[in-house]
Amino acid sequence: MKKILVVDDAKVIRMIIRQILTRHGFEIAGEAGNGREALEKYKELKPDAVTMDIVMPEVDGIQGLKEIIAFDKQAKVVMISAIDQQDALMESIRHGAVDYVVKPFEDDRMVTSLRNIFNEDQNDSAGSRQ
Amino acid sequence: MNITQDRLKILEIMSRLSIDRASRALSKSLRTGARISLSKVFVADLSETTEKMNEDQREMISVMVDFKGNEGCRLLFMLPLEGSLILTDLFLRQRIGTSKECDVFTESAVQELGNILASHISNALVSDFNAKLIPQPPRVHNDYAGVIFSNLVLEQGMVNDSILLIETIFEISGSKLECYLFLVPEMKSFAKLLDSIGVGT
Repeated sequence: MKKILVVDDAKVIRMIIRQILTRHGFEIAGEAGNGREALEKYKELKPDAVTMDIVMPEVDGIQGLKEIIAFDKQAKVVMISAIDQQDALMESIRHGAVDYVVKPFEDDRMVTSLRNIFNEDQNDSAGSRQ
Repeated sequence: MNITQDRLKILEIMSRLSIDRASRALSKSLRTGARISLSKVFVADLSETTEKMNEDQREMISVMVDFKGNEGCRLLFMLPLEGSLILTDLFLRQRIGTSKECDVFTESAVQELGNILASHISNALVSDFNAKLIPQPPRVHNDYAGVIFSNLVLEQGMVNDSILLIETIFEISGSKLECYLFLVPEMKSFAKLLDSIGVGT
């Protein structure tokens, strides 16, 4: 079962994401309320992927993404934000995010995003074995 | 605050477009009939508005969001306590009436409401009017309307005797709640934005 770290400053959103992901067969590794906590939890819990909000107090999601990628270049971080602006999207992708989901989202959108990441991983491993 | 009728009209259209978009996003988030509609935009006298707020004796939950970018702005949304409890139940996808008192989940629901409103208002202004505007983390307060409004005035260091006021009606789950939405633009930067889209002084 793939373990996910959920990062959002709003407790209700963390709870909603937790419910959706557990219903679809993921395990919640832990939760964090800003970018700094996200890095600490990432190091401690070693999740398979991270869902990361952008607008958060103290350390925002873009900075959190940068720090996680600096720590682990292979980290899979999906940005989840209500900001639907090209600048935020491009900055996220430039710093290593694997996807960008705009809030509010359908449950399937987030689940598909995470499943795609792990399917790509499997395909890459299969490809490298051939 | 000096603002011509033409500019006020444009600000009203911009506000209406952005609030409509925020309202649709909110409905989608809550998966129910939640709607924020704009009733009017006007420049209000600061002391009269403060007086009106002080007369409102309802306990309110408020969310304040600053925007950064080329266009400085601050948003304050206030809703009565009973509305925030309904909002919490809808966010948590539980039966309305389950939440009985204000707790961390209520504050979090109002925080997310502020985030959705601010983000989608800025999305609309960025995509439709070429603005540069990014919302900052929302701050939630629980107090009487007058106290919350006074804090806004004090924090803004408002020296002008007027404020741009956007009156809204918040419909949630069939109930109409009288709420307050204040959008306080930094007029210098918004004047530049209006210039850039061809609305003269």
